[in-house]
Amino acid sequence: MNIHEYQAKQILAQYGIEVPAGGIAYTPTEAKRVAQKISARGPWMLKAQIQAGARHSGYFLEHAANSKGGIRQVTQIKNVAYETSQMLGNTLVTEQTGAKGKLVSKVYVEAFKHVKRLFYAGIIIDSSLPAMVLLVSDVVDRDLLDFKTGEDDKILRLPLSYNEPINDSRLMRILDFLSLDKTHLEGFREFFNKLRVTFVNLDAQMIEINPVGVTRTKKLLALDAKINFDDNALFRHPDIWRMHDDYEEEPRVLKAKRNGFHYAEFDGNIGCIVNGEGLALEAMDVIRSKGWNTACALNVKGGVDKDKIAQGIKIIMTNPRVEGILINILGGFLRCNLIADGIIAATQEVGLNVPMIVRLEGTNKDEARTILRQTNLPIVFAENTNEAIDKLIEKMEIND
Amino acid sequence: MSILADKNTRVLVQGITGIQASFHVKRSIDNGTNVVAGTSPNYTQGEHLGVPVFANVREAVKNMPIDASVLFVPARAVKQAVREAVEAGVKLAVSIAQGVPVHDMLEIKAMLKGSQTMLIGPNTPGLMTPNEARLGIFSEDLLHQGSIGIISRASTLTYEGILETNAAGLGQSTVIGLGDDMIIGTDFCPLLEKFMEDDATKAVVLIGKADNAYELQAAECYAKLPHKKPVIAFVAGESLPFASTMGYAADILTHGLTSVQDKKKVLSAAGMTVVDRMNYIHQALADLHLND
Repeated sequence: MNIHEYQAKQILAQYGIEVPAGGIAYTPTEAKRVAQKISARGPWMLKAQIQAGARHSGYFLEHAANSKGGIRQVTQIKNVAYETSQMLGNTLVTEQTGAKGKLVSKVYVEAFKHVKRLFYAGIIIDSSLPAMVLLVSDVVDRDLLDFKTGEDDKILRLPLSYNEPINDSRLMRILDFLSLDKTHLEGFREFFNKLRVTFVNLDAQMIEINPVGVTRTKKLLALDAKINFDDNALFRHPDIWRMHDDYEEEPRVLKAKRNGFHYAEFDGNIGCIVNGEGLALEAMDVIRSKGWNTACALNVKGGVDKDKIAQGIKIIMTNPRVEGILINILGGFLRCNLIADGIIAATQEVGLNVPMIVRLEGTNKDEARTILRQTNLPIVFAENTNEAIDKLIEKMEIND
Repeated sequence: MSILADKNTRVLVQGITGIQASFHVKRSIDNGTNVVAGTSPNYTQGEHLGVPVFANVREAVKNMPIDASVLFVPARAVKQAVREAVEAGVKLAVSIAQGVPVHDMLEIKAMLKGSQTMLIGPNTPGLMTPNEARLGIFSEDLLHQGSIGIISRASTLTYEGILETNAAGLGQSTVIGLGDDMIIGTDFCPLLEKFMEDDATKAVVLIGKADNAYELQAAECYAKLPHKKPVIAFVAGESLPFASTMGYAADILTHGLTSVQDKKKVLSAAGMTVVDRMNYIHQALADLHLND
């Protein structure tokens, strides 16, 4: 689960990490009020709160000609409300949002901070160790991506202990890497250990501070903040769960999630319902190899509730991109007859006006086929993934 | 012969009284699995499914020898259940539950280090030696005793692998689902090694997927093995748009080596036969002429 920058900064502040003074605004007037409260003279930073990166270099769909992005520096108080109004209610497109962009409904107003130095810091879990790994780089912002391959000397990677603080010799390595002298040790020790504790205590999967600012007094400031939490651990953190912003997710994705399923949308025309991530990947690969593309994939996992499965199937059937449906269920945990019941319940509500090919293999598959045959729904059966996709494409080509 | 478990393996079931556990353990027993005991925190004496039930793993091993444990406990209890198995010195643990927190896995991996326990999973259909040992939730009627070892990191595709080996008329020696999660108890390497030493296994099917680096590790250790049997490898997810969900950090970490194409190249360079589609596996197996 992702949260907004302002929420991440609230969390960091609770853990004792210094962040610039700031406040959230839902209207231009509110933005001006916040600005006056946090700093008498400015300048101020106005930051569109969407859960996607590269906001600074983005643009607003509604003001395409005006190249200003989702992060703006304002030096005069009289401009705060106007600049905020240019962002609120408009759609910000960045290289991470896709062409549709994201609607901005709140702006974070922050006091601008003078710093002597900027750098990148992140903590992530490296599954191949496996361990938490601290990442530090002198390069900030998107230029980092250019170094992801090859130029490894631009990034310092330090595996961290799950239970113990970061010791001074490791902190000295960070200072050396950034060519900073050891008078900075105190500030670094405080910042990085607090960051580590935040990560461990909150079941984070990733924290990125891009950038960290080093002040004249050698304090470290989080100037931006991004935190991703492990969905499977949110039961331990109800306060984090409450920070979830439903508007950040596509309605169909949200609906699937509420039913305990995983759902993803793509650019094609075939809707897939599967009972495992691997099957979804395989279906997408085979569809692509035949010159078609997937519209969406719904993974019902080991779902055992007929009504939830019906909800899931309805999500696929109501996606306007979908011109054909592949149902591919294989093996163990999920009983095939529940899928059959779910298909019937869903078609009774929303109908079935596109071709549907069903491949069922595993527990109670014969019973499931019998149930579906009795409905007179135009469902075609297949024996394996490849045959199912061939049959589906054939039907879809006829419909064209 | 087989690897990890056969008809003589004495199996404990942690969380045996649960609904799903009861359903599957009964099927395992019917299929020939030597289930000898169970544990349940709320059921400290008596029997379930014809075997004695203990309060915890320590009590069970005090009363009878245990070779392996299947964990049917819910995701949030997996860390504690693995700790019990490790502390009791159980050699093999198989954890089925989906949704174990990643941080719990970091702690579990630390527990396993230097212990006697090998953990398979979590988030796996388990492991199965057909007609001898079903440690998990496999649809047993799909499996047939035979000469192909299967190791898979994509639970549902394990079944595709099983169907492909059936289509080649070869059947399976042992089938192992490593689990779909980011951090798993055991990776491909130690199992590849065991299959190479197993008399019943003539070839291995390896099923990988797009995320993480486990296939790269598999290639590295296969290349180093002194005695190699043929491995047919498949990696799912080549059509996934390469979009990072975790910001720059994830991209940096992977050293730019996560694409399915790259994984295939590395596996092939290590000497495995890499197939582009799952349904090419049976032909690749037939081409090995294992029955000749």
